[in-house]
Order: sequence, then C-alpha cells, then structure tokens
Amino acid sequence: VLVLTRRANQSIMIGADVVITVLEVRGDQVRIGIKAPRTVAVHREEVFAEIQQENRDAALRPGVGPDIALPKPPGSVN
Amino acid sequence: MLVTSDRFGALDISEDRVLHFPDGLLGFASSDRFALIDSADGGPYYWLQSVDDPSLAFLSVVPFAFFPDYQLDLSPDDEVAMGLTSPTDALVLCLLTVLRADDQVTVNQITANLLGPIVVNSATRVGRQIILADSGYPVRAPLAA
Repeated sequence: VLVLTRRANQSIMIGADVVITVLEVRGDQVRIGIKAPRTVAVHREEVFAEIQQENRDAALRPGVGPDIALPKPPGSVN
Repeated sequence: MLVTSDRFGALDISEDRVLHFPDGLLGFASSDRFALIDSADGGPYYWLQSVDDPSLAFLSVVPFAFFPDYQLDLSPDDEVAMGLTSPTDALVLCLLTVLRADDQVTVNQITANLLGPIVVNSATRVGRQIILADSGYPVRAPLAA
C-alpha cells in the first residue's frame, strides 16, 4: 500500500484523470472530493462490498432453474 | 448466438437479447455479457444467463411489479455511461436472491436487491449495476405477494 501524507486542500492524482482532494479534516472524519471521468463509478467501499456479496448470493445455485415456482405479483390475474 | 447453459441447455439467443455490461456485475467482473431470457409464465421475471460461463445465471424481476413505489434517480454519470437519452429506454431489473435451493421456494424466501438495481439501455442493450447509496433501499427486500 502506498501511503501519502496530505493536508487539507492537497490532492492526489490517480492516473491522468482521477483527482482525490482532502477537503477538510475534523477529528476522526475526513471530507474527500473525487473528480473522475463519468465512466468511472465511485462508491463508498462498504456499500460496494454489500452489493458484491449480495450478487454472489444471488448467483443461482445448481438445481435452481426455470422450474422453480415464482410468486405472482400483487394484483395479477392467474 | 449459441449460448450453452447448465440450466437451459443450448440456447439460440438473438443478438438483440444479449446484454452487455462493460463494468460487469459487482463481484463478477469477468462475465460482461448476459442473455436475457423471459420467464415461461410471462410474469415480470427474467433470467440472466452468462454468455461466457454456462454455470452462471441470475434471476431478476422488474421491481415495479412488486414494489410500485420504487424509485430510482439515475445520475448524469450513469446516463452517460449507458448512453441513455430517454427514461423510456431504461429497462430496470433487480437481481433476486433465492434462499433455498429446491422447488418449494416460497415468497418470503425470495428477496430483491433494491439497493443495487440493474439498468439497461434497451436501445443499445448496454447495462450497468448502479448503487443507490443514499436511498435507504435494502439489498434483501422480500417479494410481497
């Protein structure tokens, strides 16, 4: 892991397109600004990890296939 | 396009039913193409079968059928990434997690990921899993009949 020391209003470049700026340091909280191309998705790590884990759980297990009974949506006609 | 799958056998999928996810689905970055397969009963369900991995498939649902109040606001970044110019071109799907691996699955054992829906530009068939970070939506919302 590369460790850099930055102060408020100082930045880090990742490649040529991504700029991470420390905006404010207050106690144990840091406000960070991220400038990145629109095609780069930026997420908080814990939310990213939650979705990643749920996707893994959603990948169908062997034996779960087109013959499972699926609930009808409310208001639908049988 | 011929797609082999563990669950559906060999499938002949027309190109306009193949979805492309340039970023992959989170956790499955190596599979970026999925065949969109309608559910047999014509309900709001779709199977997503990986074109690259016969064993990898997901079950998804059009969320509005079960969650009529569900709302998602796409960021301009998401719209640009998908080339989405009109909301009517957006196909929204939520992956379902089936909690028990047999035929006797009941409603409350199927949950929908409302926090990380999949949005597909149906005009270009380019899709992206988006994260509604500040929405408060859960990753496991039981399907209510």
